Amino acid sequence: MAAERFIIRGDLGAATFLPWVRRHMGKLGLTGELGQSGEALVELRVEGPPDLIDALEMGVSLGPIEAWVESIERAPLNSL
Amino acid sequence: MWTPVALSRDVPPLVVLPVVAGGRELALWRSASGRIAAWADRCPHRGMRLSHGFVRGEALSCIYHGWSYGAAGNCLRIPAHPDLEPPETIRVAVHVAAEAGGLIWVAPSAPEAPPPDPGALQPLRSLTVEAGTAAVLSLAGLAGDTLARGHLAGVEVTVAVQPIGPARCALHVLTGAAGAAERIALSRELDALRRRAEAGEMAA
Amino acid sequence: MTSEAIRNEWYPVALASQLGPEGRDTRLLGEPIRVDWAAQGRPRVRAADGREMATRLRYGHIWACPGTPSRELFDIPEADQPGRRLVDVGVVRVKCSPLRAVENFLDIAHFPFVHTDILGAEPHTEVGKYDVAIREEVDEVWATKVHFYQPQAAKSAAGGITTEYMYRVPAPTVSILYKTCPPRPGEWDVITLFVQPLEENLCEVWPWMALFDDETPMTDLIHFQQTIFLQDRSILENQLPRLLPLDPGMEIPTRADLTSVAYRRWLKRRGYTYGAQLVAA
Repeated sequence: MAAERFIIRGDLGAATFLPWVRRHMGKLGLTGELGQSGEALVELRVEGPPDLIDALEMGVSLGPIEAWVESIERAPLNSL
Repeated sequence: MWTPVALSRDVPPLVVLPVVAGGRELALWRSASGRIAAWADRCPHRGMRLSHGFVRGEALSCIYHGWSYGAAGNCLRIPAHPDLEPPETIRVAVHVAAEAGGLIWVAPSAPEAPPPDPGALQPLRSLTVEAGTAAVLSLAGLAGDTLARGHLAGVEVTVAVQPIGPARCALHVLTGAAGAAERIALSRELDALRRRAEAGEMAA
Repeated sequence: MTSEAIRNEWYPVALASQLGPEGRDTRLLGEPIRVDWAAQGRPRVRAADGREMATRLRYGHIWACPGTPSRELFDIPEADQPGRRLVDVGVVRVKCSPLRAVENFLDIAHFPFVHTDILGAEPHTEVGKYDVAIREEVDEVWATKVHFYQPQAAKSAAGGITTEYMYRVPAPTVSILYKTCPPRPGEWDVITLFVQPLEENLCEVWPWMALFDDETPMTDLIHFQQTIFLQDRSILENQLPRLLPLDPGMEIPTRADLTSVAYRRWLKRRGYTYGAQLVAA
């Protein structure tokens, strides 16, 4: 099991973006929460098997058509 | 609401094939132990049709990347990531499949009653007709809707009718006791019925 | 009407060695075009209204740009390298989005299942980490350090080896694969798919290769590549949705799908939507 923080940067202001991310996390069976979020930056924390956290990065790097994800910075969380 | 999709005899263990029921495209398959299943014909990974996949034991695997699914539709294994235990959230949409009287029936969700059972009959064959169900049944002079009954070529028949589209249906034909010559004559009559229905002939 | 971003690209429209004096009528981005020879060695591609498009004769194929070329046709230096065999495989028509054809060519996780005992086999199914980048200076997608164990990787391979690959997308409907070359360690065999978009859900695929292999007869090289591609065609024509999703909301991409995800991001950023599905379905 791993725990990570994602800092997602891009053009993320569309109303569809956060619900899309939550839904994708649910599809992967990952637990986590969204942190601060704004038009250009969204933070999320996620726990689960490393391969599924990688899969979350894959999906979120595309996201809904209205959003543009420029980068995703990942860092391990030491809380576990 | 049950839809007949195949004769049991035509889906032996380890076979998977595409069927259409209630306007949905499904992968119909039978496991090694004989369990029949009907799933959405679409792998949740990247959308490949599961009806092109392969059955191993009690699991159906997608032909594209080998993602493998168990009895409840849950993903068991992702070959590109062999150490990953897939979460139970990764699953294929499962429909209800049941067998009765030599026919395989499918329903979209928990049905209120078991499927119609035509009784102990002999399976003859299935055929797809490029015509609507009402036109075909009236041309054949058969009464009933999902299970239509009557006589064709002098043989008592029960026909399970599967609507596929406005101008396409499949007929799964069963008979009572009938000798080889009668079955051949009936089969020819079914081919003639199909030709007439597809030519747009209407019942008198 | 297709947008500027889509019209200003280079597309393959014919195989030069098979284009006779009678020419060829075909379609590009949903519109009829005519391909023929204006003079020896000079191809001509005309739109339905008679307007001539910019053309190039390169890598054995004729290329056309229906708009104004946003850049020069991509370069494959290996095509000019002495000792290489250049192989025209011939066209295969596929009822799928041109973008699906490219995406499938960038994928290795399917090798043990679609190309069983040729490009891969169970239980060697694991896809290890590899690198992908969009090279901004040339605006191309590149995947490097891709590796996969294969029982019989190329006609020139004697037995099973771990093959190293690189993938490159230099244009929206072109995909190039570089594969380690058993007879010439240090060099790469080059295998390409040049995809002609006829419609959003119909394409013609022209595989082409530049190989170091002096032994295998040409017909065997062609047959090998055709066999592989026909196996892929049965996948391509049975994927839902037909168009390539730019929103993976109905899919579950994993790290093994990294090149496919990078390709889709690159298309999205360029506004290249011909053959693409914008909303997950």
